[in-house]
Amino acid sequence: MKTNKLSYRFGQYSMFAGPAFALFLAVVILPFLYGLYLTFTSWDGVSVEKPFVGLGNYATALADRAYWDSLGRTVIYSVITVVLVNVVAFALAYAVTQGLKAQNLFRAGFFIPNLIGGIVLGYVWKFVFNRAFVSMAEALSHSGSSSSLLSTPNGAMFCLILVSVWQYAGYMMLIYVAGFMSVDQSLKEASLIDGCNARQAMWHVIVPLMRASFVQCIFLSTTRCFMVYDINLSLTKGEPFNSSVLAAMHVYNQAFVYKNYGTGQAEALVLFLVCAVIGIAQVFIGKRGEVEA
Amino acid sequence: MNNAKTRFRRFGAVMLASVLPLSLLAGCGSSNSGKTQITIFNSKMEIQDQMEEMAKTYSDAKDVDVEVYYSSDTVAAHLATKYASNEPYTVAMVDAKDVYALARDHAVDLSDQGWVDKTDQAIAIDGKTYGFPVSIEARGVIYNADPIEKVIGESFDPTKYATLDAFKALIAQLKQGGISAPTAVMKEDWSLAAHYLGEVYEEQADPAAFIDELHDGKVNLNDNPKFTSLMDSFDVLKANNYAAANAISAEREVSEQKLAEGEVAFMFGGNWDWAVINQYDYSENMGVMPVPQNTDDESNEKLVGGGSKFFIVDSSDATTDEQRSAAKDFLDWIVDDADGQSFIVNDCSLVSPFTNNTLEVADPLGASVKEYSDAGMLIPSYNYMPDDHYSVLGAEFQKYLAGQENRAGFAKAIEGYWKSAKITTPDA
Repeated sequence: MKTNKLSYRFGQYSMFAGPAFALFLAVVILPFLYGLYLTFTSWDGVSVEKPFVGLGNYATALADRAYWDSLGRTVIYSVITVVLVNVVAFALAYAVTQGLKAQNLFRAGFFIPNLIGGIVLGYVWKFVFNRAFVSMAEALSHSGSSSSLLSTPNGAMFCLILVSVWQYAGYMMLIYVAGFMSVDQSLKEASLIDGCNARQAMWHVIVPLMRASFVQCIFLSTTRCFMVYDINLSLTKGEPFNSSVLAAMHVYNQAFVYKNYGTGQAEALVLFLVCAVIGIAQVFIGKRGEVEA
Repeated sequence: MNNAKTRFRRFGAVMLASVLPLSLLAGCGSSNSGKTQITIFNSKMEIQDQMEEMAKTYSDAKDVDVEVYYSSDTVAAHLATKYASNEPYTVAMVDAKDVYALARDHAVDLSDQGWVDKTDQAIAIDGKTYGFPVSIEARGVIYNADPIEKVIGESFDPTKYATLDAFKALIAQLKQGGISAPTAVMKEDWSLAAHYLGEVYEEQADPAAFIDELHDGKVNLNDNPKFTSLMDSFDVLKANNYAAANAISAEREVSEQKLAEGEVAFMFGGNWDWAVINQYDYSENMGVMPVPQNTDDESNEKLVGGGSKFFIVDSSDATTDEQRSAAKDFLDWIVDDADGQSFIVNDCSLVSPFTNNTLEVADPLGASVKEYSDAGMLIPSYNYMPDDHYSVLGAEFQKYLAGQENRAGFAKAIEGYWKSAKITTPDA
C-alpha cells in the first residue's frame, strides 16, 4: 500500500482527527462565523428577520460609553486580580512543597474554593459581606449601623477582586506545585553549594526553571478574569449604580436584556479580540525566554 | 480476504466511534405516549411548584401531556435560545413588552377565543389578540396596619392618608409612638426605575405623548407636577427608611420581613411581594394603598397596574395544530373550568383578570388589588418602556436613594437618557 498518496494521508488524517475536527467545526467554528455574521445585522434576538446594517453595530459599540467604562473596569480588575492570584498561588505552592506535616490536607483545602461554582460562591460571599461583616463591625464599633462594602463602587470592586483571588489561587497553586516538583532538587543543591543563599537559589535557579508554570498560570488567570461573569452576577449584579458591571456582563445585558443582539455580539467580538491579543502576546513573550534544564 | 475483513472491521469501529458522540447529543427528548404533548414555559418563579403540580393533574385528567419548564434567565433571552434551536414552547408565559416583541413572528392570533370578551387586560396588536393575561398586578404602598393601629388607637383607613400632608403627619405620629423608622425602601433597580419612576410617566394625562416629548427633549422634569409630587412622596419614604444609612445594601428579604412582622409599616411594592412576605411570620392585616401625594388629579386614589404575565401560543411549524388546539383548551380551562379558576386564585394566589372568575383572593395584598381593579381604580401600566430603561435609570435612582445625587441631577439624568433612548410608540 502506498502511504505517501494524498488520498491515503487524507484518510489517515480524517480517521484520527476527523471526528474531533467535525465536532470542533460544529460547535466552535460555525457558531463563531454565524456570530460574526450577526454583528452585521440589527437582530433583536427573537425576530425572524435579521436586517443587514453593515458596520452599524461597530459604530454603536464604539460610541457605547457604558461598554468602554465596563471594559476599562475589567482591565483594572484583571490586572490586580492576576497579580494577586499569582503571588498568592506561588506563595501557597511554596508553602505546601516544603514538606510540612499534612501538606496534602492544605493543598486540598486551598483548592476547594475552586470546586464551588462561581454562582454559589458569589451568593455565599454576598452573605458574608452584607450580613456577617456588617454585624461584626457593628458589634466592634458600638456606634450603631455600619454599611456593607458592597454598597460603594470601590468596595464592590474590592469584594470582586478578593473573592476571585480566593477562588482562583487554589487552582493556580496546583500548577505551581507541579512546577516546584518538576525542578530537579540537585540543581537547587548545586546552587547552594556554589554559595547562593536560599533567596538567590529561588530567584536565579528555581523561578527560571518554572517559567512554563508562570506562563500557563498568567494566561489562565488573565483569560478567566477578562471573561468573568458568574461572580460578577451573583456577588454584585453590577450594583451599586451599575458601577461594577464588567465587560462580559455588559455584553450579556446589551444582547439579551436590552435586546440589541447585534451590538452585543459586536461588543463581544471586540472583547474577544482584546483577550486574544493579550493572551497571545503574553504566551509569546513568556515562551521566548523559557529555559530547559 | 482476511485483510479485507480486518479492514472492514476497522472501518466499522471507526464509524461506530465517530457516531457514538452524535447519538449522545441526540439522546435527549423523544417520548412514546400517544397523547398530544404540549410544553408550557413558566416565567413566574414563585408559582413553579404549583405549575408542575397542575401539569400532573391536568395530564391525568385530560387527553394531553403537559410539561412545565422554568428559567431564571430573562424571558426574551431564554426564548431566543428556544427559537434559535427550533424548539419553541407550545405556550410561553411572557411579560407585556415581550408580547409586543414576539407576537408578530411567533404567536398565533387568539382573537376568536371565547375568553377574549371576559377580560379587558388581553394584549391586542393591530386589532388581533395575542396575549392571554395570567394575572393582575398593581403597585402602590404596601402597609402593615398592625403597628399603625397600635399607635393611632383606631383601625387604619388608608383613604384618610391619601395626601402627602396627611401621610407625613401619620409618619410623625408613628415616630412619636415609638417606631423610629416606619418605612422600608427596596433598592432593586426594577422597583425604583420600572415601578416607582414608571408612575411618573403612567400618571401623566397621555403617557405615550409625554414620552415622545421627553424623547424630543421638550420636558423640564423639575417643573413637571407629577415628577415633583411623586419625588416629594419618595423623599418621605426615603427619609424614614429603616436602612437609611445603608439604603443601597438593604436586602429585599430583610425589608419584607420587617414589613411582614410589623417592624416597619410602609414599603413601596405590589401584590407580587406577597410571595416574599408569606415566607415570614406575616400579619393578615396588610394591604396596598395608592402612593400618597399632594395632588388633585385623583392619582392618589388609584393603584397603578393591570395585566401582568401573558400566555402566547406558538405559531411556528415546530408546533402542530393538535398542540395548538390543546394549548387553547388549556387557556379555556384556566378561564372557565372551576378547577382552572381555583388554580389561579387559590393555588397560585394570583388576582384573575377574568370577570367570570369570582373566587375570593386569599392574600391581603391581592385582595386590595382586586378591590381597586373591580372598582376600575387602576391606572394602566405603560408597557412600551425601552429595554434598558430600568437598568440605566435604576442606577441613577439608586444614586439618588444613596444621597449621591440631588433631585435636579436625577432629573437631568432622566432627561438625558430619554433623548438618546430607542423608543417604540404603542402604534408602531
